[in-house]
Amino acid sequence: MARKFFKSSETSIMINRYSWRELIGIYCGIAVFLFFMLAPFIEGFLVSLKPLAQLFSSPYSFWPENGSFEAYRTMWISVPSFGRYIFNSLLISVVSTIIVLILVVPAAYAFARFRFKGMALVLGAFLAVSMFSGAVLLIPLFRLMRTLGLLNTYYAMIVPGAAFLIPSAIWLLRTYMMRIPPELNEAAYMDGASQFYTFRRVILPIARPGIIVVAIMTFIGAYAQQFIFALTFNSKTEYMPLPVGLFAYFGKQEVIWNELMAASFVGIAPAMVIIFFLQRYLVGGLTAGAIKE
Amino acid sequence: MGQLSLKNVVKTFGDFEVVKGVSLDVHEGEFVVFVGPSGCGKSTLLRMVAGLEHTTSGDIVIDGKRVNDLAPVKRGIAMVFQSYALYPHMSVYENIAFPLRVEGAPAKEIRKKVEEAAAILHLENRLDQRPGNLSGGQRQRVAIGRAIVRQPEIFLFDEPLSNLDAALRADMRIELTRLHKQLGATMVYVTHDQVEAMTMADRIVVLNGGYIAQVGAPLTLYHKPENTFVAGFIGNPRMNFMPVNVLSVSDDGITVDFQGQSLTIDVDVPADRRAALVGSQVSLGVRPEHISLGAGDATMALTPTVVEHLGQLTIGYATLPGHEENFCFVLTGTQMIEDDRAVNVSFGAGDCHVFDADGQAFERKIDMSAMTPPVSL
Ligand SMILES: Nc1ncnc2c1ncn2[C@@H]1O[C@H](COP(=O)(O)OP(=O)(O)OP(=O)(O)O)[C@@H](O)[C@H]1O
Ligand SMILES: [Mg+2]
Repeated sequence: MARKFFKSSETSIMINRYSWRELIGIYCGIAVFLFFMLAPFIEGFLVSLKPLAQLFSSPYSFWPENGSFEAYRTMWISVPSFGRYIFNSLLISVVSTIIVLILVVPAAYAFARFRFKGMALVLGAFLAVSMFSGAVLLIPLFRLMRTLGLLNTYYAMIVPGAAFLIPSAIWLLRTYMMRIPPELNEAAYMDGASQFYTFRRVILPIARPGIIVVAIMTFIGAYAQQFIFALTFNSKTEYMPLPVGLFAYFGKQEVIWNELMAASFVGIAPAMVIIFFLQRYLVGGLTAGAIKE
Repeated sequence: MGQLSLKNVVKTFGDFEVVKGVSLDVHEGEFVVFVGPSGCGKSTLLRMVAGLEHTTSGDIVIDGKRVNDLAPVKRGIAMVFQSYALYPHMSVYENIAFPLRVEGAPAKEIRKKVEEAAAILHLENRLDQRPGNLSGGQRQRVAIGRAIVRQPEIFLFDEPLSNLDAALRADMRIELTRLHKQLGATMVYVTHDQVEAMTMADRIVVLNGGYIAQVGAPLTLYHKPENTFVAGFIGNPRMNFMPVNVLSVSDDGITVDFQGQSLTIDVDVPADRRAALVGSQVSLGVRPEHISLGAGDATMALTPTVVEHLGQLTIGYATLPGHEENFCFVLTGTQMIEDDRAVNVSFGAGDCHVFDADGQAFERKIDMSAMTPPVSL
């Protein structure tokens, strides 16, 4: 995973060597790509530094004059419950991720290791389900939630969110687990280990990088999709997640753009910290030395 | 303890019969080697003994107890896999300790046993490393260490050395033989390598297409193969087979007509079969290493198409008229012969084997104890 493509040292193998022309081309490509990805963020950040008046001045100045972090202070005053929205978002995403992991890890293992009737069918169904976004099924889901009495609770946002993330998570983790050599299961069986012991002591540790990838994907997925469910299944302000909370900056007369941008960055920060923390555990090559390939 | 019997063991995968009725007794403390061509069911047989595959029919009996439905640990068996199958996330210590941890042994006992095993396998300095940082030979030793800590009565090895290079394989071979002596446990060993089979085995089991072709001590298999399959399989290069006509049969053996020379081979022929045999065609087998230059009991003129000079040996291949397989001969030392140049070679009647039309051998009347210095195992 930590493969270096641009090793200039002499130890780099032939296939990783590029001429200076190719290097320039590659970096230009990366720069263009990055620019498209990052431009909105850069502009957003610059906006958050400007006083509100400057945003509507013409001609529009891209760089902030006498910019300050004032918006990062006033945002908490304009929308006092913003902290609550961040907490809600994190809570919904974290709980969804935990639920997904608890269900998906054993399921992926079963799909990777065992053969059973109807397996292809179930896997195909998962794939089909993950092609729908939750949005398509909002109305039936709404009726379901109402019947179950889950409207206007945290569950209304957690349960459908987790449900829609499970299929793709199973596919992802199953692929990873299929790469764990089955000989390890046989060896553990020969050593007297039960299926569950083998799963806990052998498979889980080896699958850890895969599980973390799934955790990150699920967390991001839950973070991104929660606002659909929040808007539809929840009308209580105190349960609203961050994306909905950001609407609070849309005032009656005007939108407080600089505070909105500041709030967006502040709101993302905790999620970034969590993802950064998780990906430190992404170490490759965990199966090295298990079997002779 | 450690006595293993297979009774008419059969294994089918779907409609495909892989092991077709194998019966075998392995004595306590014996080193038995399974050999046979690829796909003949060696691994399948071993995995059935291990408990990794169900037995379609027949019994597997260990120390007088039928174990068909027992888990591997309950059978008192440990297995070493060809691919090592080490736990990559655990240190060498934890890998070896794994079976004891499963048992829930106390930490002190685990430490003692793991250190014992590590000492036997010269792994004392590697205990903290991960398998990924070890060489092939060391990994294989860790795999063996994991097998010996539980002190099983029977060890199963499925081609444990085939992933190692030639030099390491020779070392590990010696080490395994030493280990066998030291532990005194029963060992069943699958290999492709004839040298491993010949040097390590107390008895070799030759498998062919799901059947046992012959069971016997390595030298018995070499000197008294019971059929053409074993005769061709044991020994390298393969034995040469030539069709010959029987002139007469007596107590002295079979007299055949070999390219106009009459040759009497000292084999045992049951009295009731003698009459039918006269005039029929049999197969004359002679090993390449028993052929020498110049004249002898049976002399033949050959034109080798390829000659290989190895210094220590000179190997020649010739085509015989009406014969598909190459006729091969191995001469000791460096012999000045060239390809496409005719030479006279010969072999002694005492080195010949005779097989009937079904490929079954007539037993040679040779005294094995009076032969070349006995090999001590
Ligand atoms: N799980 C299985 N399902 C179906 N057929 C199988 C299975 N396992 C083995 N076979 C078949 O059984 C036959 C014997 O396999 P086995 O692995 O025992 O051969 P082997 O003697 O060990 O060969 P090699 O020397 O190449 O290891 C092969 O033809 C193989 O295709
Ligand atoms: Mg095999």
